[in-house]
Amino acid sequence: MIIQARGASLTYNDHGKTVYACRDANVEVHPNEFLGILGPSGSGKSSLLYLLSGLKSATSGSIVVDGQSIGRMSDEDRSRLRLKIFGFIFQQPFLLGYLTALENVALAFSGPTDRDAAAKLLEHLHLGDKLDRLPHELSGGERQRVCVARALIGHPKVIFADEPTASLDHANGVQVVKLLNQHRGEGSLVMVTHDPSMLEGADRILRIEDGCVVEE
Amino acid sequence: MRSGPLGTRTYLSRNAGKTVPLVAVIMLAAMLICSIVALMNSIPLSIRTIYRYTEESLVVGPRGDPTQTPRIVQKLNEEAPVKLDRIILCRVVSTVVHSIVGKWPFTVVGLEKDDMMYILKRQGITSWSGRLPDDGAAEAVISEPVARNLNLKIGSTLLGPDKDDGYSPHNVKVVGILHSDRWMMFTDVEYVRENHFPPLDVVLAFAPDLKQQHKLDLWADKAFKGDRAGVFTYEQLDRDTTQMFHILYKILDAVVAILVMVITIMMGMLINIHQSQRIVEFGLLQALGYTKKQLIYRVIGETTAVMALGWIFGLMASYVLLNILKRILMDPNAFALDVFDRMAYAYTIPIPFAILLVAIATVKQRFKRFDPVSVVERRLV
Repeated sequence: MIIQARGASLTYNDHGKTVYACRDANVEVHPNEFLGILGPSGSGKSSLLYLLSGLKSATSGSIVVDGQSIGRMSDEDRSRLRLKIFGFIFQQPFLLGYLTALENVALAFSGPTDRDAAAKLLEHLHLGDKLDRLPHELSGGERQRVCVARALIGHPKVIFADEPTASLDHANGVQVVKLLNQHRGEGSLVMVTHDPSMLEGADRILRIEDGCVVEE
Repeated sequence: MRSGPLGTRTYLSRNAGKTVPLVAVIMLAAMLICSIVALMNSIPLSIRTIYRYTEESLVVGPRGDPTQTPRIVQKLNEEAPVKLDRIILCRVVSTVVHSIVGKWPFTVVGLEKDDMMYILKRQGITSWSGRLPDDGAAEAVISEPVARNLNLKIGSTLLGPDKDDGYSPHNVKVVGILHSDRWMMFTDVEYVRENHFPPLDVVLAFAPDLKQQHKLDLWADKAFKGDRAGVFTYEQLDRDTTQMFHILYKILDAVVAILVMVITIMMGMLINIHQSQRIVEFGLLQALGYTKKQLIYRVIGETTAVMALGWIFGLMASYVLLNILKRILMDPNAFALDVFDRMAYAYTIPIPFAILLVAIATVKQRFKRFDPVSVVERRLV
């Protein structure tokens, strides 16, 4: 397995009261699998994704990535790990407004920028004619596809997608998930969503309620 | 500057709408400080420039007692520490020249023809337009800067009965313009002796060269102390000017320090606003895997580039502005202004450093508790 969470919890303080965003999560992410995390809004599915990806540190329990406990890593080391072996897609198609589609994709490349590889990937995602467009010149669906390319460009071991279809209509959402699944190659895909129809191609689905994994 | 998608050049050139105003503010600040200091420096520079002709001689006056003059000459001849090249007896008429801070006293020196030729030679003047004053005539010769400053040409009246600042019972006409950047006005000594009061001969003592002149000046300062003789040397003038502007420069330092503080606070606020607008960018990059250190270095790199550009453009703009001021305002009036005033340019150095320090502190503070999840979850967007 690539990622293993054991009893991982994430709490926050709400006016002196401890609130669990995620409680005692025991989750494994295997190579080349499509793992869906399903749950209603506010159930803690995004928090679980942040824990697994090292974007948040577990309050208790452990997360092991590629044999290394990320709880013992410094903030800097966790960042490096993210850039090297993870890819991310967020709810909103966050792109840097002053960079072209091609340059936005190159951002997530941990090595020297490979313009040709980025251009090829964008072509596969039907954005071959929009390489030099700035984000404000692209539609919402196109922007999210650029984000997909950015997540895929470094051939990451795991791609984390946090409600990637939330800002898109259903057709565009389905297309984005399809492209993501098609082009992830050997990488695993961990996708959080509240829409079960987006997880049709998933190998496994975890259902989350009130911060707890209730069903696999 | 780094290029590439996250390079400094890329950011600065593609966000010109944000970076150009920052560069412009620093540029204007540097220009403002540089110009203030250069204009302030132009006053002592003007004093030194206008009276530089006295560098070549020691001036000793008899303090209102004409009988002292022969004694002064005797003392100089017998006790001077250097061999004197020449001693000249002259008469002076008071007048004024214009400066950026009002009228300054100047003298029209009455000389015999031989002495006038000697002084012209000492001042390195070999040519002039028109001619030198005739013996006993109400005529004067002036140098080019004086002509520009007082707007005089050959045939103009330098001294006259109607001139409050340069009185003479007859109209003293300009008959020659000396081709030199030294400020000088000469007339014939006989005209002064016959028409001006008091009847005091002033002694000009010349050493063979500037080095020995300096030695002579220092000696005279001490030798005539308490004596009935007033000593005037360029050395004294230089020292007095430095002392006179000492307090003024302290005030200038305080003004510049306040200006730098105000500009730094203002720029700190602007940089803070600018960074707030980039919170999504920072959050996204950190979420993707860029370390805080990388992001801080990147922002510091961009800020340094903005500061450096603003400062360099500021120096260039200052140079252009000082040249314009010199050409339009100073040169036509023969006022002194050094467009390469190193002190003025040096006064701008604290600006980029102060702003950079504030920027670094702001950036470090911002990233100290920065959580990229708050951005990707749109809590901070």
